[in-house]
Amino acid sequence: MSFQSPHSTQSTPIQQQAQYAQLTQPAAVLAGRGLVKYYGEVVGLAGVDVAVQSGEALAVMGPSGNGKTTLLHVLAGILTPDQGEVWLAGERVDQLGDAARTVLRRRRLGFVFQDNQLLAELPADENVALPLMVDGISRRDAVGRARTMLAQVGLSAEVGRRPGELSGGQAQRVAIARALVGEPQVVFADEPTGALDATTGAQVIDLLVGAATHRGAAVVVVTHDDAVAARCNRILRIVDGRVSDR
Amino acid sequence: MNPMTDLGLRFVRRPGPGGRAANLAAVGATAVVALLVTFLIAGSLGLTHRSDRIGWRSTLNGDSKTAVGALHEVQDMVAGKPVTRFDLAILNDKTNAAPPPGLPRVPKPGEVFLSPKLAELWGSGLSDRYKLPEPTGVISNAGLSSPDDLVAIRGVAPNSAGMTASDHPDYLESWRGTAIDGRMAFLLVMVAFGIALVLFPLLSLVGQAAGVAAKRREHRLAALRLAGATRGQVLLLSAVEQAVLAFFGAIAGLIGYTVLSPLIARIPLGGGRWYLHDLTVRWWVILVVLIAVPVLSVISALIGLGRVSITPLGVVRGQTRKAASALRLGLLVVGPVMLAVLGTGGAVLPLLIGIGLAALAVRVVGPFAVQVIGRFLARTANGPVVLLAGRRLADDPKAAFRPVAALVLSGFVTGFLALFMPFGLAQDGTDAAFSLHTDQGQTVAVAKEVSHRLSEAGFTSEVTTSEESVDIHVSTTDREKVRTILYDLVPDQVPLTDAEKDAHEAGVYLDMRLGVALLLGLVFVTGAASTAAGAVGTALDQSAPARALRRSGIPLSVIERSARLAAVVPVIGVGLPVVGFGALCGLALSGGHILTQGSSGAILLAGQVIVGLILVAVAGAAGAPVLRKASAG
Repeated sequence: MSFQSPHSTQSTPIQQQAQYAQLTQPAAVLAGRGLVKYYGEVVGLAGVDVAVQSGEALAVMGPSGNGKTTLLHVLAGILTPDQGEVWLAGERVDQLGDAARTVLRRRRLGFVFQDNQLLAELPADENVALPLMVDGISRRDAVGRARTMLAQVGLSAEVGRRPGELSGGQAQRVAIARALVGEPQVVFADEPTGALDATTGAQVIDLLVGAATHRGAAVVVVTHDDAVAARCNRILRIVDGRVSDR
Repeated sequence: MNPMTDLGLRFVRRPGPGGRAANLAAVGATAVVALLVTFLIAGSLGLTHRSDRIGWRSTLNGDSKTAVGALHEVQDMVAGKPVTRFDLAILNDKTNAAPPPGLPRVPKPGEVFLSPKLAELWGSGLSDRYKLPEPTGVISNAGLSSPDDLVAIRGVAPNSAGMTASDHPDYLESWRGTAIDGRMAFLLVMVAFGIALVLFPLLSLVGQAAGVAAKRREHRLAALRLAGATRGQVLLLSAVEQAVLAFFGAIAGLIGYTVLSPLIARIPLGGGRWYLHDLTVRWWVILVVLIAVPVLSVISALIGLGRVSITPLGVVRGQTRKAASALRLGLLVVGPVMLAVLGTGGAVLPLLIGIGLAALAVRVVGPFAVQVIGRFLARTANGPVVLLAGRRLADDPKAAFRPVAALVLSGFVTGFLALFMPFGLAQDGTDAAFSLHTDQGQTVAVAKEVSHRLSEAGFTSEVTTSEESVDIHVSTTDREKVRTILYDLVPDQVPLTDAEKDAHEAGVYLDMRLGVALLLGLVFVTGAASTAAGAVGTALDQSAPARALRRSGIPLSVIERSARLAAVVPVIGVGLPVVGFGALCGLALSGGHILTQGSSGAILLAGQVIVGLILVAVAGAAGAPVLRKASAG
């Protein structure tokens, strides 16, 4: 599902905010409109509009190389769009500088990647606590919160284990705990079950969607897997950098 | 062509993302190894060549009946510079024999041949001293150790002073003797010590160079193993890739040495600069470097990749490494004990083995110490930077220590030399009085002649005598003129002040200082290359999780700061205690005496610590652009 782009882009910030509010009823926690991204001559996104509500899980699907991950990166502030706008909880974020977007990602967004990308030398609890410590929270408090979160994803017995000592599914649960520990407004997941077998993958996506939406966070999942998409509230198909009904 | 060989060559040509930086770092580090190895080989051979040309002066047989000549060495000063004069008497009617190296003919009594540098000083009273309008001839390069040599060879009669049997001159068995010159022998011993001390840093750098490229290779090769490649095929592919990179590195090192050799030739060791041809490498040296460096590099790479070829999944999943054992600490005792036991013997080889063992102990104990420090930091950290650095050090202390091993070992060298080298000797003489040694009974006559000559020349002097010496106090600063007036008054001696005698001895200590500076320079270059290569390797290793962290909102600065801290901590935490260990070994060798005098040792220590830290900071920064690029997007 998508929504219409506004006709004018030459409005004041207050007007833009009003337009955004009108266009994203009920209030979307995350919205992108008219998103365009080029890689040199290649078009990554060709004008995508998207909105996600709090507590909603959106699956982004489509053929490889058609713009799914680009859309995720643009919405998450990893990439900046060449045209269009990204709004997070009523605040336009695509125009923020690199440092501000870094803080935004750390404090208000969460991420889960295909191959978990945990730091091999840190045990599970410190991997989860790391973003909190970067934000200035003391180690004791950060690790305490991390262990609580790990318990919630069923890993209370594995808090001291390193990624190399965990199974693929367990490592991905640690990654989910790391994504959720900062109480993000949106969690982005890029093929989070891509490296897992079907059963483990199903458990992981259930955990991710369940834990995130239970906290009122939105979830944006890029996936090729219909079973994963089926566990989300809605599916957005991207073909050739555009939203497709196919 | 074997498909794996073909694939290995293809990987070199198209290294893939991040691979170009890894390959460049590997080639660069190998080039430094090749350059240093070439320098050590060429330097040693060069010293031998230099010694060979003047070796005839040291080839003695002690038999006056068969000797071709008798030689008497005299210390002289010309224009304030130390000069060595050789009085040469031809014995046993060998005047028609072939001349000594560098001389156009056998010198007749009264003839004087000078080195080119000394000939330039002819106007400084030499004409009066030798009573010749011009020097008889110039000593060619074939008879000189260095273009800066200040040497005179003066022909004298066999029965002249200093040449009679009772004077015990040096009898030469031939002009073709190649006995090693004393000063060159000393330098060769220093080179041997240097090789013993830089051997492990160099081997460490070879491993580091191989490791950088291997970092890129590990996952790729593990994937190949998972895809069904055999252990042998994966090893062959790695060997081919590493051999090609190391071969290019060796060529770059040889070219670097050739470009730098004119600068190296300017280092005034052993009495002066080098003739460039002494440092020119022969074909077989080139062959040795082109073969040895790649072979060592391939062996290092294969050892490093062992775990990939055996357990590919282990690498892919980053299994926990085995902790270093505290038993390693026991090795710290072996070196000092061996040096204490062998120190009194004075033989060079056992000492070299003792120093080598002590250096090996540092290399082996280092990772354990890094692990202890890492665990401490990880336990006490309250921020992400220290936590990451501490965990990284504790998780793989060998990998953390390897890049800085050379620098830490240089701390051992410094600590050792700071107490053991007699830097400050031979500089305490004064210019208050000239002295001449005389035979008993001649003292009064010599003193009288001294007074007479000086008085005639218009100098006011005070001449005092003791049993076998005459001391001359002259109220002038023109010491060269006084020396010329008194020249040949005692034919086999030149009047010198105590300070001027010290200046003659100072050459050896200058060699020591330069040798130490060169040695530390070698270690620093090795350390810098090793640290830079290690930083690049770590950056490549960390690129995937670093990219994920950056995407998750962890600032790059946190990752970079933790990487820098992980590089500096081993240098400070292990390097400084190792300085103390080196000093302990120096004391063990000297029997508990501090041989270094003055502040040279303290300056050396302070310089080492400052330069070392700057080096780590600068070389460690080599990983930053790689990490930034590899973790972007």
